[in-house]
Amino acid sequence: MFVDIKEETRMNVSNDGHFEALWPRSPRRLTKKLLAPRLETLESKNIAFLWDYMFRGDEVFTLMEEGLKQRFPRVKFVSWKEFGNTHSKNEREVLAALPQRLKELGIDGVISGMAC
Amino acid sequence: MLRASAVCEEAGYPTSSLVCEGFLGQAAATTIGLGMKLPLAKVPGHTQAQSADELRRNVLEVTLEQAVGNLTVEMAAAGEEREPGARDVVCVGGMDEVNQVFIDKEWSDGLPIIPPTRQKVEAFLRFTDRSPDESLGTILPDSRVATVWSIAVNGVMAGCRPEYMPVLVALVEAMCDPQYGVEHSGNTPGADTLVILNGPIIKRLGFNYTQGVMRDGFQPNTSVGRFWRLYLRNVAGFLLHKNDKATFGNTWRVVLAENEDVLSEIGWEPNSVEMGFEAGDDTVTIARYTGGNALASAAGSTPEELLPYIADAVVRQISWQLMFTVGMASGTLRPLVLLSPILAQTIAKAGWSKQDVKQYFFEHARIPAGQFERILRDWTGKPVWSLAEAVGDGSLPKLFAESEDPNRMVPILRRAEDYMIAVTGDPLRTNAYVFAHNGMLGYPVGKRIESHQR
Repeated sequence: MFVDIKEETRMNVSNDGHFEALWPRSPRRLTKKLLAPRLETLESKNIAFLWDYMFRGDEVFTLMEEGLKQRFPRVKFVSWKEFGNTHSKNEREVLAALPQRLKELGIDGVISGMAC
Repeated sequence: MLRASAVCEEAGYPTSSLVCEGFLGQAAATTIGLGMKLPLAKVPGHTQAQSADELRRNVLEVTLEQAVGNLTVEMAAAGEEREPGARDVVCVGGMDEVNQVFIDKEWSDGLPIIPPTRQKVEAFLRFTDRSPDESLGTILPDSRVATVWSIAVNGVMAGCRPEYMPVLVALVEAMCDPQYGVEHSGNTPGADTLVILNGPIIKRLGFNYTQGVMRDGFQPNTSVGRFWRLYLRNVAGFLLHKNDKATFGNTWRVVLAENEDVLSEIGWEPNSVEMGFEAGDDTVTIARYTGGNALASAAGSTPEELLPYIADAVVRQISWQLMFTVGMASGTLRPLVLLSPILAQTIAKAGWSKQDVKQYFFEHARIPAGQFERILRDWTGKPVWSLAEAVGDGSLPKLFAESEDPNRMVPILRRAEDYMIAVTGDPLRTNAYVFAHNGMLGYPVGKRIESHQR
């Protein structure tokens, strides 16, 4: 029977190479941004709804209106219809126009849906 | 949706983003790339699977309270995340050790990678005239810089050869094109990108463009396809269970190259010309497809005999994707039909051009109007609308509402030219393939592959 006298030696020698592997990601080009100041209360505030026209957002916003009005009777709302679809082929244009539109409508806070 | 919230916050308006329960992880990961920790309000379960009573209870008992808190309670700022530098060595060791680290750090797709060493990366960089630090864009959702260096690193990992580098650079240029919409690459239908290659580079680099064209087995087709997915993972930031919310998903697509010999023989323009380039240019075209199906054994010796079967197959591949014909992204549906060379030759022999075939599909790949409306309005819960209303407000051509008959046949696309046709595959088999396109969430984009001058 043939016996490889180098077998034990071979088994103890790594054949796995030696590599210095580089980071495969890339730095973020990102400025950390602060959130807007929060509101003291929703009472008498003007709340805008933004919608991506999916996943029953129209029904959800109707329910939100109902619930918020019960807690804050003088809260006001601006419908999603005022802003256009936030997730369509015109998304960039719609989003670019948002700050000015919110200002024109006197908005205090925004509820945006639906991520589903 | 979160991008809209980020715009509002930046403009000084506090927001609450409504997020279904299963998407809270993705939303949290996405907000990092937007530069702020957006406040989220949970919607329990998924709205599409709830009765009106269940939805009401969930919104009023859970979502509402969280939304009020989001708008009125100051949140702690997001912490700083320390990361390596662009050219840092992150792991030293043998093949197994490096691969284990890359898997543990989520830098690998699960298959062994080629360790990206400086020597190998520099070999790739010799095949481009661009600076390693040049940025081709910033890619969402992670907002990372798409540098030439990072292209080389991921090309090495994917098992590409250095001479593929010009193709990889063109692909990332396409990825960064806003028209493509890379930021949608983690959406739930889980579409995957197909790369179509054109030009003399097909033969120069040895891409398969004949039998079994979309099967792994040819190094350039397979490794360049893998590169795409690795780049989406490592630089765009699409990771499963985080930013990639594919419900099912599948492996990356092997690169498809057209058979330009046959196209030249029959006088049909290659895909590259349809994408706006000159015949003979080396180009890549990318688009995302949710799926597709092979159509076997088309029988006939004339276009009139062959095309009804293929048109029928086109209709069968398009369902909810109609939302890209009318609705959120009207006019962005671009189905792709692959014809084997013998089918294209048979059709062309009768004097038909590619455009004639597209026109045929436009006129014959049609469905009843009632079915069209039912798929979107009733079955997938899109907002209430009708084809007649869309024609009425000018958002659809009159062709979609020529009568009130719900059985009238309407096209599935807005224009004949929205069809894409490529000729490839087994030269002597009468098979076709139809891809279901993902509309604006991966719109076709083409880029010229720069020749390397140095």
